[in-house]
Order: sequence, then structure tokens, then C-alpha cells
Amino acid sequence: MKEARRIPLLKKMLGQLGIEEERVRLDWVSASEADRFASIVDEMTEQIRELGPFSHNS
Amino acid sequence: MAKLKLALYWASSCGGCEIAQLQIGDKILKLAEVADIVFWPVAIDAKYKDVEAMPEKSIDVCLFNGAIRTSEQEHMAKMLREKSKVLIAYGACAYGGGIPGLGNMFNRELIFERAYLETPSTDNKEKVLPQTKCKVPEGELTLPEFYDTVKTLGQTVDIDYVIPGCPPEARTTWLALEALIEGKLPPKGTVITHNAKAVCDDCPKKRDVKKVKKFYRTFEIMPDPEICLLEQGLLCAGIATRGGCEAPCPQANMPCTGCYGPVDGVIDQGAHFLSAVASVIDSNDPDEIQRIIDGIYDPVGTFYRYSLPDSLLRRAKIK
Ligand code: SF4
Ligand code: SF4
Repeated sequence: MKEARRIPLLKKMLGQLGIEEERVRLDWVSASEADRFASIVDEMTEQIRELGPFSHNS
Repeated sequence: MAKLKLALYWASSCGGCEIAQLQIGDKILKLAEVADIVFWPVAIDAKYKDVEAMPEKSIDVCLFNGAIRTSEQEHMAKMLREKSKVLIAYGACAYGGGIPGLGNMFNRELIFERAYLETPSTDNKEKVLPQTKCKVPEGELTLPEFYDTVKTLGQTVDIDYVIPGCPPEARTTWLALEALIEGKLPPKGTVITHNAKAVCDDCPKKRDVKKVKKFYRTFEIMPDPEICLLEQGLLCAGIATRGGCEAPCPQANMPCTGCYGPVDGVIDQGAHFLSAVASVIDSNDPDEIQRIIDGIYDPVGTFYRYSLPDSLLRRAKIK
């Protein structure tokens, strides 16, 4: 449950730093949902690939 | 015994570190007995060329305050590193970037626009901005380059020790100077303070398990002087900050803003502080959590007040 409080605060701060929100994701998956887990990881990987490597432009 | 050769320098800083050095009071006489000050722009008329002329490693100790924001500061950091046996990052700006490090939320262009064009007190119709070179009838004028990103001293040159604080408390300065005078220096890389644990360890306030439903800015409440400020909804960085200052800020009922830098073993002070703040939020309901978080103004400026350049991200990304 700690993450439920930490991640929104982290997202707010990363937003201020100009870092794309899609780079951080919090989801809840139970141990019995292997397929869901795999698809979330795939989605996340694809999303990060689209965003490209993290870089500061100055 | 030959006298120690001491140099003191300032880069991107406010001048407070110089005051802090004088705050050691009459101990300065003891310092004068054992050390000669060979370079100290605030008090002694020595020029850059005098430093240039000094042989390598001829300065025993250099206390360097301020972050690295310009090419001149970078040059001086490199030169003083070369000339000094021991180089100490003195104060929060040299150590973590400090308040000037918050400039890493912007870049040169944005800072120049704000400072030289937009500020209400500025009258600059020709839109003149600082240039590194400028021709005038008498010849060419030059200015140091202003970098997009502020760096710490340790990101610029190899440093031997850190004396933390904004500015360092007199007791911390003296702790380091005494070690120097007695030749009992700790291992290289040590952040010199009386207490390597967190500020909370020096703070007399009572902590229980009280959880927070709303965060306040300092002017919004009168906190109970007996109880931990964080538990009353004030963003106190004590948990995520190295001790040794004797917690003067919380003892005056003002939250610690984190000036002594991270505690041992922590790389990113802001992330540690953020995590501590998140853990006192008293809710499991996402909407309520969001509402409570919305009440935290300026998370970057709060969590990384003195350490943005030294954080994992180092700076903001400018669109
Ligand atoms: S969080 Fe602040 S007020 Fe609370 S115990 Fe730590 S230093 Fe003191
Ligand atoms: S209490 Fe915090 S802000 Fe105040 S001097 Fe100590 S470390 Fe710095």
C-alpha cells in the first residue's frame, strides 16, 4: 500500500522535471494472473521503446 | 612546524559560507597561529595570477564553496585542485549544488530571458543579453560562459572531503579545521559532521505514529512545539538529512530543509525525503491520496532544495 502513496507523489515530481508520465506506471497484479502480468510488461516495454532512451536536452 | 597554507574560494554561492567561516569566532586566532591564508578573495587581495604562479600541491588545504555554473568557476575549481593537497567542498552548493542548483529546473536561455528581459524591474528595450565576447571601441570584452546546467564541485574535480550545510554550522567547520590542524583527517570522501545519523536523531521533538491528512506550508499553521513537525503536516526533511547541526531549525519550529545533505548510504536525498513524506500520508483511497498530494507545492524545490544537481536526474528536461 505504500506504493499507492509514493507513486502519485513521484509522478507529480517527475512532471515538474519534464519527464514523461508514461515512464512510470503502477499496477496491481495477483500471483495468479501470469498473462496479465506478461501483457503489462510488454505494454510498458513498447511504451518506453516509443519514448526512446531517456535524455536531458540541456 | 611550518604553517599550513590555507586557501578559501567561492564560486556560485551567496557569500553566506564566508560568514560561516568567520562564525568560528575567537578560534580564528588559533587558526591564524597554525595557518597562513594564501588566497581568500573576500578578505585578501590576491589575484588569479598569484594562484597560477603557485607550484602544484603547494596549498595544504582549500575550502571551496559554491556550485559550478560558469566556465570561470570550472577553471578555478580545476586550478585549485591542481594547487591543493586537500580540496574540501565547503557548504551545500559545492556539495550538492545548493540553491543555485535549482537553476537546473531551467536552462541558460530561460534564465537569461527571465533575468534580463521579463523581470518587472528590468528596462532593456534593446534586449541586450550577456555575451561571452563583445567588441567595443577599446577592444574586445569577454565574460565567462554561463552553462545550462549547474554542477557540484565533486562532479567537476576530485574532492577529498565535504563540510556540509547552508551554511555549515560553526561547530561543523571547527570539527573539520581541528582535524586538519591536528593532522587527524578521516578517510578520503568523508562528509565531516558530529553525527552521521539523521537530523531527527539530534531533534528533541516527540514522535508517535500520527499520520497526516493534509500538508501545510510553514505560514499556514502554528505547530505544537513538542511534537514532530512532519507528523503535524509540515514538510520536515530531518529524516532524510545528515545530522550534526544539532537541529536548530526544528528546534525553532521550522522544518529542516535538508541543508546537510543525504544520510550515509543514500545517493538521492530527494527520493529519500519523498519516500518519507509519502509514508506518513494517512489514506488508502486513491482520490484522497491525490488530494493530499495536491497540497504539496513545488515537490522538486522541497525534496531537492540543496541537491538537484547531485540527484540521479540532475536536472529538468526542457521541452
Ligand atoms: S522530522 Fe523534523 S521535527 Fe520530526 S523528529 Fe525529524 S527533525 Fe524533528
Ligand atoms: S535542521 Fe536541517 S536545514 Fe536546519 S541546519 Fe540542520 S540540516 Fe540544515
